[in-house]
Amino acid sequence: MSGPGSRANVVVRLWNAGAAVRVALVGLGLIVLVGIFGPALAPYDPLAQDTAIALQGPTLAHWLGTDYVGRDVLSRLLAGAPVSLLAALLAMTIGLVLGAIPGVLSVFAPRIVEWTSLRLVDALLALPFILFAIAFAGLLGNGLWQAMAAIGILLAPGFFRVSRAAALSVTSAQYVEAATLLGASAAWQVRRHVWRSVAPTITVAAIGAIGGALLVVSSLTFLGIGVQPPAPTWGGMLASDLEFLSQRPLGPVAPALAIILTVGALNLLADAARDALGVDAATVRTRAVRARKETAHATSA
Amino acid sequence: MTLTQAEAAGGPITAGGPVTDADLVRGRGAAAARRAGRSAVTIVAQALVVIVIASFLTFALGAASGSNPAAVALGDQATPEDVARLNHEFGLDQPFLVRYVEWLGGALTGDLGRSWFSGIPVTQSIAAAFPVSLSLALGATLVAILLGGSTGILAGIRRGTWIDRAVTAVNAVLATIPAFVAGIALILLFAFVIPIFPVGGYVPPTVSVTAWLLCLVLPSVSLSLDAASDLSRQLRTSLVGALSQNYVVGATVHGLPRGRVVWGHALPNALGPAVATLGLHVPRLVGGAVITETVFGMPGLGQLARQSAISGDVPVVQGVLLVSVVMVVACAVLVNLVLSRVSSTERSAA
Amino acid sequence: MPRLRDRVAASPSLTTSGAKGVPSFDEASLVAPAVAAVRGLRVSTLDGTELVHGVDLAVRPGEALGVVGESGSGKTLTCRALLGILPAGTRITGGAVLIEGQDLAHADERAWRDVRGRRLGAVFQDPASYINPAVRVGAQLEEVLRVTAGVPRRQTRERARELLDSLGLRDVDLVLRRRVGELSGGMLQRVLIAMALAADPAVLIADEATTALDVTVQAELLDLLRDLRRERGLALILVSHDLAVVSQVCERVLVFRDGAIVEGGATARVLRAPGHPYTRELLAAHAEYGLERYLRS
Repeated sequence: MSGPGSRANVVVRLWNAGAAVRVALVGLGLIVLVGIFGPALAPYDPLAQDTAIALQGPTLAHWLGTDYVGRDVLSRLLAGAPVSLLAALLAMTIGLVLGAIPGVLSVFAPRIVEWTSLRLVDALLALPFILFAIAFAGLLGNGLWQAMAAIGILLAPGFFRVSRAAALSVTSAQYVEAATLLGASAAWQVRRHVWRSVAPTITVAAIGAIGGALLVVSSLTFLGIGVQPPAPTWGGMLASDLEFLSQRPLGPVAPALAIILTVGALNLLADAARDALGVDAATVRTRAVRARKETAHATSA
Repeated sequence: MTLTQAEAAGGPITAGGPVTDADLVRGRGAAAARRAGRSAVTIVAQALVVIVIASFLTFALGAASGSNPAAVALGDQATPEDVARLNHEFGLDQPFLVRYVEWLGGALTGDLGRSWFSGIPVTQSIAAAFPVSLSLALGATLVAILLGGSTGILAGIRRGTWIDRAVTAVNAVLATIPAFVAGIALILLFAFVIPIFPVGGYVPPTVSVTAWLLCLVLPSVSLSLDAASDLSRQLRTSLVGALSQNYVVGATVHGLPRGRVVWGHALPNALGPAVATLGLHVPRLVGGAVITETVFGMPGLGQLARQSAISGDVPVVQGVLLVSVVMVVACAVLVNLVLSRVSSTERSAA
Repeated sequence: MPRLRDRVAASPSLTTSGAKGVPSFDEASLVAPAVAAVRGLRVSTLDGTELVHGVDLAVRPGEALGVVGESGSGKTLTCRALLGILPAGTRITGGAVLIEGQDLAHADERAWRDVRGRRLGAVFQDPASYINPAVRVGAQLEEVLRVTAGVPRRQTRERARELLDSLGLRDVDLVLRRRVGELSGGMLQRVLIAMALAADPAVLIADEATTALDVTVQAELLDLLRDLRRERGLALILVSHDLAVVSQVCERVLVFRDGAIVEGGATARVLRAPGHPYTRELLAAHAEYGLERYLRS
């Protein structure tokens, strides 16, 4: 049937997709755990300064060394995890809600609304992402919420396009006309098919978007926007490591690896999800044909 | 970045690449024919509409910020009278739409207002920072074309050999490395291990061309890695596809040497999607330059935007954003024009 | 035998190039050296599956050889081996590919480049896909003339015009300026034939060259091929599943099946008195649905 079925089914299918995906899932699971329990796992207070032991390399006491004011890097990394991860997740959700819902609805909207929304999306996509995120977050108060809202708003057009394309493939004109002519029950079937067809595409897009959002969050915090020091963020740690590169050349490795591994795992997962859920142009079209036949059956019976 | 604007893009302004609405609904062939039929006029007209909307959004953003000239210039010592006085001086007590039209009109004549912080005309600050960003963007594009182009073509010609596998593996890795990580890695390499290139700062070509080129090398490479790996991958795929076409067999059978067949027949037909991919990366080169400029300490548009955003200097932010949008859209228009010429010859043959 | 063959080979009227002999089957041509041949050819995939099992094929100057068989019977692979363009994943594992006596089975690209276009040419089914869609056909024809035939740059335009004219195309200048998508199948096939014959090869391999064309266009092209044979002494290897076409054009025919030749010989003999059961099957199938049956009934 069309649609991926229950949630558990999806995870099982992903798990069976291959070794690389399993590594990604496990890795991601670990990162999520760190995200939830990180601050509790930190051996030291991430904000505790001790300039006497500043800029040390890895030692037995401090596994990843200390930063320029003597704070334990490992603790900061663990404490910074939830901030960065949560910010990325929330930004993606904002983008999803702001983009996917209008995207699907735009297919049913009157022509003028559709045209306007498409032009708006084009304009948003023309804006250079990070530049605009900086301007947005910076001008509207330099806080985490502003940063997340900015990223979410800039991710929305992407979701809009993807969900609109998926919805369009299901509702070709004749099909919708026929369904609406035949009454409400058919129209309800159409809506159901649309959501079921659109859901896998959006899921794949969402997973990939978290990765992208995480990169942007890291970039923003790297530039000093979104979270104020001394609160630990992965991007912020990279920035201070850059300043003291000559004293501690291997400093950037830890936060960089954290970012790269998380984003890499998310990308791998997104690719696997795309394969497992069978989301690509050809399949979307096949689903559309199948959905059309099913509704034809239902309405003729 | 997997899903971002880039992946979902495919509409009128950004270069056509991944699946678009039309593709899904009507099938690829018809959509491509429509795309090819779009005239230069349509492309430019749509670009202008986008610029207008984007300018409106930019101006609205500035207006929505709680910042005002007094807070920026005087900081905590600003009294309410100061606020009112400076607001009047900068024309902020006028209605929003009036200010927008005035600002846009001024922009067309080259006047983007004055900085609330320093009073320096915005155009002047932008003009000072523009060459830096332009050098960086051009440098990154050049490196992307050279690196991405050569590796992509090599991998495409020698499909299945170790060269191909090596290139594909490197591309996969590079796709996950964010720009600032690459930049820092390069700094580490070239500052401590092989100190050849300067790891920061900017020297204008008017002072010394050699110094200018040298200081551009590392930032350009760092900024280009994302685009280079995408371009390489795309070029390889299209070249492999083109080489499997029948006309390659035809040309070979008629006695043309392999080199001529690859470079004169297969490659030109493979360039279309590659140009589209490069076009998709142009916005990133303009926007992503902020990170690279910060890492390498270059006083470009990105730095300007960042500093003025943090200090709440609205006119400068608006000016920089507008200039960036125009640059991005102009590049997209160029790419679309080139693409529509390339694809029109292909489509009429199909 | 060898001595007789050498003497005949030395005789100018029966050498490979410029043999302006009679187009119909000629006993003497039996002893002329084959201009293109495979001997005991074996082609296998890289993992060892043999696809062509020891095929012998030869075509002599001015002769028309028909090759019939179903898809997958090995006839296309044999032709590709003759041209040195076996698909990736296959290779020659036995036998010889003799172009004017020289074995090129394991030769490198440079050796093949001297042969392709100059000693043998080829045209295929679906001419549109065998010409570069992005370049004008005139430019491509001129390129082949310049590079393969060695025509000086200044004269390529004129020679291209002459060539297309001699192939029966009207409005030659118009055609030269067009691209693939703007020309009909028949025109494109003539352009392809022009490119194949630009350097005046001795053999033309036509692999299902008329299959995709309208019957009337097919008839025109077959007439054209006949005239070419007469004017240039061109040898022809005509690969087709259409027995009717083969019977009208070719003096000898080879029947392929499952990677081997099951029957071969003079067309008259093979088609009137087939020896192998498979040939009989083919003929019966043709008769069952042939036009003659309808016309007779």
